[in-house]
Amino acid sequence: MKILKQYKVILLVAGVLTFVACAHEDQPGDSQLDYSQPQKNALDNWITTNYLNPYNINAQYKWNQNTVDNNRFLFPPMVDKVQPALEVVKQIWLDSYTSVGGADFVKKVAPREIVLVGGVNSNSNGTRTLGIADSGQRITLFEVDYLNKKNRANVTEFVHTIQHEYVHILNQNKPFDEQAWQKITPGDYTGTWHLEVLQTSRNLGFITNYARNNIIEDFAETASTILTSSKAEYAAILASITDANGRAKLQQKEAMVVQYYKDAFNIDFYALRDAAEKNTTNVVNN
Amino acid sequence: MKPKNILKYAMIVFLALHLFSACTSDTSAEQKFDKTPAERLNEQKSELNTALLSSEFGWKAVYFTDDTQLGGYTHLFKFSANGKVQMASDFNNDTATYESDYDVVLGSTVSLLFTTYNRIHLLSDSNSFPTTALRGRGYLGDFQFLYYGQENGDILFKSNRLVKEVRFVKATAQDWVDLPKNLVTEQNVVGASTRPLFRLLETNDGTAVKKYDFAFSRATRFAVSNSIAAGSSEVLSFGVGYTPTGIVVSPAIVVAGQKLTTFVYNDADGSLTATGTGGVKATIKYSNSPLVLTDDYKTFLDGKPQMILSYIAANLYTAPTTSQYCKNLLDQANATLPANQKIARVQIYFNSPFGNYIEYRFNGGRPSVFHNFTTTEDAVNKTIILNHDSWDNGAALIPAPAFLKNLDDEFMNASGLYIKKESFKITFSNTIWTITSASSNFRITTYQL
Repeated sequence: MKILKQYKVILLVAGVLTFVACAHEDQPGDSQLDYSQPQKNALDNWITTNYLNPYNINAQYKWNQNTVDNNRFLFPPMVDKVQPALEVVKQIWLDSYTSVGGADFVKKVAPREIVLVGGVNSNSNGTRTLGIADSGQRITLFEVDYLNKKNRANVTEFVHTIQHEYVHILNQNKPFDEQAWQKITPGDYTGTWHLEVLQTSRNLGFITNYARNNIIEDFAETASTILTSSKAEYAAILASITDANGRAKLQQKEAMVVQYYKDAFNIDFYALRDAAEKNTTNVVNN
Repeated sequence: MKPKNILKYAMIVFLALHLFSACTSDTSAEQKFDKTPAERLNEQKSELNTALLSSEFGWKAVYFTDDTQLGGYTHLFKFSANGKVQMASDFNNDTATYESDYDVVLGSTVSLLFTTYNRIHLLSDSNSFPTTALRGRGYLGDFQFLYYGQENGDILFKSNRLVKEVRFVKATAQDWVDLPKNLVTEQNVVGASTRPLFRLLETNDGTAVKKYDFAFSRATRFAVSNSIAAGSSEVLSFGVGYTPTGIVVSPAIVVAGQKLTTFVYNDADGSLTATGTGGVKATIKYSNSPLVLTDDYKTFLDGKPQMILSYIAANLYTAPTTSQYCKNLLDQANATLPANQKIARVQIYFNSPFGNYIEYRFNGGRPSVFHNFTTTEDAVNKTIILNHDSWDNGAALIPAPAFLKNLDDEFMNASGLYIKKESFKITFSNTIWTITSASSNFRITTYQL
């Protein structure tokens, strides 16, 4: 017993020593890393005012190899193309969603970063990747150097990219009913969509060839194509479908998209389309 | 031992270990460096920053993105402390200077990054590629360069993706002025149609001369030279970068153990020469005669079976082996004819039942004319010489047609013609023969009928 008591004392002393033993070590000083903020130019300030402050979205136009695929031969956009591209994105995408979904809509569900790339991201099969959405957080837009604000077709393709990628981001936040969607055109998805003929794809119930890649792309293509078309343009697409069955399938998909926007975000999809069209006209005419 | 004792000793051992080891430093492994990684990276960063700003007229780099298939692109950089860089390049005809941003950032090591668009990004455009094999990969260029230190005042980098060495050497004021001259050099390397038709690369190790053919692609700035020695399969291939006075090549051409990289242009004969020591040199030069002389011409000498070689304008005007000079002569002759008439064929009959003759055949209903000739062999130079005999129209003798004179004189030239059976085909399966003047840049492509 006595011995055990001694042990207890030793243990106690040792314990105390253990904790104080290393107390003479250096305290951490200032960081050795350079954390000073880089100097901002006029464009940086514009981005801060128009994207960062209101929406908490950063627009990155300076190269950072960590935000792009290093296996692709890409390059940063020309500096004077950056603001026009971001203005187009803001007017047609952000402002449309804001006007229909409410001032806070895109602030809550939005990519936190838009990465701008100057050139074409071409794939080995001859197709071009126009945009990428990463895990609900980042949208990468390619071909910024080629954007011509005065050319409606060109603006529409560019905006189609961001609308498409934003649908992915919405889906990544609130999934759509993938099982129900899968049942509409189950057998007609294909990895070689780029070899298909548009008219054939439409007769099968797909809005574009790319929609045939998989159901995720199908949903995004259906929603974004309707958003970037006017009511009349979309009606023309429907009218061009010669297979009544295919037209019905596409309309079924359209209905699911409309329902998804209503249920998940309480947004009137057609009002959103009309707002986008009005804003597109504004961009092209001004 | 009783369990209680085991516990006792175990405790003592544990405590002892704990007490004695607690303060021995965790970093007791042998220190390789005096400073922490962060300190060393920061030092490297400021070292590179200082170096970039240290050259009065900036830096020059001939960037060989991949010298197994592409040449070098000269870039001039002038860095400023405010993060701006002035840049010019000889990538295309626009050699003007543009401003953009740069940064020294941490990649896999400290690296120089051209953050906003400028000339160097032209090498990394997936949509602008020199050959279909490079579709989607542009010119394989990088615009982020990993810092590998300094050597004799140069800054050494490696490209980010392909890890190719890129050397920044101090630029001079003259370098900026002279950059457009690189484009003149490009023309000289491509070669002019006024120069002789054949080109070769010749190496001299001080005693022996070796000859290679020379083919240069302007799109890739890449040259391939095959040894012409019989039985040799030696190939020299290298990327070409332009300088105001000549070219630099990568990889170096090794002759007698010496690495030759810098060639100087001589406008008198269009040659480019790299000179080593002890008589070692390499020269890219023109030649009036084919590199390899063949005995193919013997097929057309007297006593051989009939052979008909036919230049058919519709298929062979555009043949790469039809020389510009030949096309000029054809164009000249055609220009004298009415609009609907053109030379359709130049058809040469050797050893026919009617002897040797050239038939000039026309479109638009114009009747053919025939130039009769005899042949002589030049066995030393391996040429066949066509000697004028007479002109006829198929029925009667006629005077020599003036509008065909310049073209026809090439066939009749006194030095004779090299005639070569080619291995390639054009449109049809007929054997192709090329007929080349031994005294001018005239070369015409024909089918064997």
